[in-house]
Amino acid sequence: MTKLALKSIWARKVRAFATSLAVILGVAFIAGSYVLTDTIFAAFDEIFSESLHGTAVVITAQNPVKQETREVPTVPASYLAKVQGVPGVKEAAGAIFTPGGLFDAEDKAIGTKFAPKFISSTLPKGLESLTYVDGHRPRGPGEASLDKAAAESAGLGIGDTLKIIGAGRVEPFKLVGLTQLGQASFGGASIAQVTLPIAQQLTHKRGRFDQISVASAPGVSAVALKRRIEKVLPLSARVETAKEKAARSTEEIREGLGFLQTILLVFGYVAVLVGAFIIFNTFSITVAQRVSEFGVLRTLGASRRQILGSVLLEAAAIGLVGAVVGLAGGYAVAAGLRALFTAIGFGLPTTGLVMEARTVIVSVLVAFLVTFVSALVPAFRSTRVPPIAALHAFTPSPSRRRRVARFAIAAILGAVGIALVVAGLAGGGGVGARAARIGGGGLAVVVAVSLFSPTLVRPLADVAGWPLERVRHLTGRLARENAKRSPGRTAITAAALMIALALVTFITVFASGLKSSVATVIDENFAGGLVIENSDGFSPIPAGAAFAAAKVPGVKSVATIRTAEADVLGGSGGTVKVNGPTPNIEEGVDIEWLAGGPARLRHLADDEAIVSDSFARENGLEVGSKFTLLSQTGARPRLTVAGEFESKLGVFGSVLVTQKLMADAFRQTKDTTDFVILEPHADAAKVQTLLTLGAERAFPTAEVLNQGELREEREKQIDSIVQLFYLLLGLAVVISLIGVANTLGLSIYERTRELGMLRAIGMSRRQVRTMIRYEAVITALIGAMLGLVLGVVFAALIAQPLKQEGFTLSYPVGTLVGILVLAGLAGVVVAIVPARRASRLDVLESLQYE
Amino acid sequence: MTTEDGKVVVAEDLTKVYGSGDTEVVALAGVTTAFDRDRFTAIMGPSGSGKSTLMHILAGLDTPTAGTVILDGIEITGLDDGALTRLRRDKLGFVFQFFNLLPVLTAEENLVLPLSIAGRRPDQEWVDQLILTVGLEDRRTHRPSELSGGQQQRVAVARALVSKPAVVFADEPTGNLDSKASADVLDLLRRAVDEFDQTVVMVTHDPVAAAHADRLITLRDGRIVHDGAPGGADDVIELMKQLD
Repeated sequence: MTKLALKSIWARKVRAFATSLAVILGVAFIAGSYVLTDTIFAAFDEIFSESLHGTAVVITAQNPVKQETREVPTVPASYLAKVQGVPGVKEAAGAIFTPGGLFDAEDKAIGTKFAPKFISSTLPKGLESLTYVDGHRPRGPGEASLDKAAAESAGLGIGDTLKIIGAGRVEPFKLVGLTQLGQASFGGASIAQVTLPIAQQLTHKRGRFDQISVASAPGVSAVALKRRIEKVLPLSARVETAKEKAARSTEEIREGLGFLQTILLVFGYVAVLVGAFIIFNTFSITVAQRVSEFGVLRTLGASRRQILGSVLLEAAAIGLVGAVVGLAGGYAVAAGLRALFTAIGFGLPTTGLVMEARTVIVSVLVAFLVTFVSALVPAFRSTRVPPIAALHAFTPSPSRRRRVARFAIAAILGAVGIALVVAGLAGGGGVGARAARIGGGGLAVVVAVSLFSPTLVRPLADVAGWPLERVRHLTGRLARENAKRSPGRTAITAAALMIALALVTFITVFASGLKSSVATVIDENFAGGLVIENSDGFSPIPAGAAFAAAKVPGVKSVATIRTAEADVLGGSGGTVKVNGPTPNIEEGVDIEWLAGGPARLRHLADDEAIVSDSFARENGLEVGSKFTLLSQTGARPRLTVAGEFESKLGVFGSVLVTQKLMADAFRQTKDTTDFVILEPHADAAKVQTLLTLGAERAFPTAEVLNQGELREEREKQIDSIVQLFYLLLGLAVVISLIGVANTLGLSIYERTRELGMLRAIGMSRRQVRTMIRYEAVITALIGAMLGLVLGVVFAALIAQPLKQEGFTLSYPVGTLVGILVLAGLAGVVVAIVPARRASRLDVLESLQYE
Repeated sequence: MTTEDGKVVVAEDLTKVYGSGDTEVVALAGVTTAFDRDRFTAIMGPSGSGKSTLMHILAGLDTPTAGTVILDGIEITGLDDGALTRLRRDKLGFVFQFFNLLPVLTAEENLVLPLSIAGRRPDQEWVDQLILTVGLEDRRTHRPSELSGGQQQRVAVARALVSKPAVVFADEPTGNLDSKASADVLDLLRRAVDEFDQTVVMVTHDPVAAAHADRLITLRDGRIVHDGAPGGADDVIELMKQLD
């Protein structure tokens, strides 16, 4: 029987390959996601250990709250003398390593938009980890070096001008050296090096260091030295061996990039789910087609168990092919994803691709489980074939009871799914648990709709087929009837596409809602003014930009906002966004007050805060009550609630405090956004030109935007993420389309004689092709219609609780119609091969075919 | 256009050889014959005699190794697939052993299928007459699965007649029917010739079926061994015995 099963696969190897393709693609994507992220982690690991070359112990500041801006708290320079006094310290030096901006002489940015750029300081020779491949180390003011990769991509050489901006104005340097860090590639990151005093001055960290690097005297272990140093420093200093520091940095990257791995895997598993539908369908159809074969085997004495075994063995073989080819494909996917991320400006550091044991195990398990589980139901169906089927055509038709059972299961699953989604939305538990509930609920709803969809196929096929029938009467009619012929088959095929398109629709609708909500907030709150922000849209800009802008003729005043993240001690816990606006902020933007008012904000004390309604609700606060925050520097400001505002898409964060507190407790002296308030009769365009010429020249990371540009900028950010998601979902769409082609191929095989008859009585090849093509189009359109509805419903569900945050859905009807049209066109494309095969069937052979 | 002498199909020295060398099989070994308009011809012969091959070649479904077929004045041997398809659509009618109706269409839709394929509007009067003739007035909107085998084959016969073809080819039309249903179908083919001036060529195994024809051609080993009036069913049985 084993031999028979294998032979039977071999005999139908093209079909078997098409089937395993559904597994291969999903598995390859999962494997590729792991390979890519593991490779990134390995690369960072290498960068971190390389960068601590020659260093035994590292001293940094404790950093209890991670900041979105990659800025870390500093240690006072006074620690250095204390460390140098510790016995066993051979050499110790302070260093700066701070995010900044790098530009060439023409103010063209070096490095891609989202890639990090760092300002670092030179270290004494013994502690320096960068090697100079060309030129020399910067020796004094006006000299800087740059990493070789960044210099090459920017076309800079020794002697050229490199402009660096830290916390103040941009400053020109002469490029005197090109560096490299071991063999590691930084990916998109760029690192400029200047002398320590210059680095401190550029970053406004005079008298402070980002870290102190320590080399040990011979015979002193790093661990021993760490203990000795810990004794002379306060608890706010974090003393680590180089090994520990590298491990922690890698761990932080892992945490930071964990979302990337999760997102990629989610898309991978969506693809696998879609693939499972295809495998289920293919096995159902082939089992149905082989009924007489099973009948013959049963007549010859094969037991039910042997029949079951032979079908499951076939599934296992396909799973094996899926696992092996999928793993190999994982490398290609990893390389492809890396190229994709680089192309959209997220350069990632890399080394050779890393294939970990976990990747292999997960891929193999997924491939096997998916094929096996998907083939289980069809396999059991094969055992119900009686020996008599060898002689008669036998079709195990679903009994009424089974149909009722299917409806019941669909109804229960649907209800459970919706309940889970609602529970996930209503809150409670962490983000992960909520996302899991929403995801699980979504999955249940999708399966419920798939179970129910055979009932929907007939009416939907009529809707989708109607226009085709108007255009091509007979072929359209036959295509529609053929699609309705085995509703279960068409339903599962369409359901696979439905899943992929439901996600596409969800993202489209949600993004469109986000864009229009952002646009509304901008239009309603930033009316008329100009805004200065970092050109990457999120990093802070030097405070000097606001001062410079205030001096431009036509500018009445400038209001700024500074931002930091803080943990809430007690209450709901979690990390919140804290904003420090200038007292005149309301001249630039409108705040919708629920308690307090503009006067309270203007006269806010340093121990007072104005909180958002959602923050107040979550923490049970009202005007007059107190709460405590923990800043990234370890400060614990205790604040009294002085007012409450309505949160609108979180633009003002959760907590507003004074800029003095922002500087003292959060060490944040850079601005996130500057609002430029114009004189009543000033010409906004003229002022913008002046600002652009002035502020952007002095602070090239800053960008002056008017209301329209700000809106466009935000929309572009959303669009770029949406496009990335579209690309990742493309895989699931492709798999589902393979399913359409596969089902079509199998159905044509069943209808060979019918096709022969049609050709015999005069149907042309072209008409046969049209008929098959339309059948694919109808199937695709059914999937698209179901997907559109499901996607819109999900978007509406998820948007519901966001309403009070100022989020309103908008339905991009044009785009949705576009999705429908594209799905139809995709049907045309995937039908090319099956349609061609059908049209080339030999008439006589087909007629004699049984 | 009809050839001068009223022959609607003329076959000249048809040869058909399958395979080559040791595996060579001669299906037709030089068959020359012609079929008169408005006549019902039966072709018989034991299995492997070449009767089906002959019909397939006459109908443009298969190509001869040598020889020519002229159908309604057109030499069909050598036509390309497109031309053959149009020829089948416009000039030929087919009745198959397995009724070969489309399960997704109603009886009436199946009946007018050749016209639908051609994109022509059916002449409703003619369709009504056909439905009346095949006795399925109350079955117009039924699907094939709701019809008996005999009813399905009657629809198939009507389908073959609907485009008023030059020739109707029937391949074992009663092969899958009981005797009552067979009689109905044969009666129908007979009436097609007598009442609607159709030309019918039928391949059959069944002496009773052959007895309904005006002329009986018998093949053996790829050659015509008898050509004449069939007489009654008993005469046909006698004839077949002689051949064996």
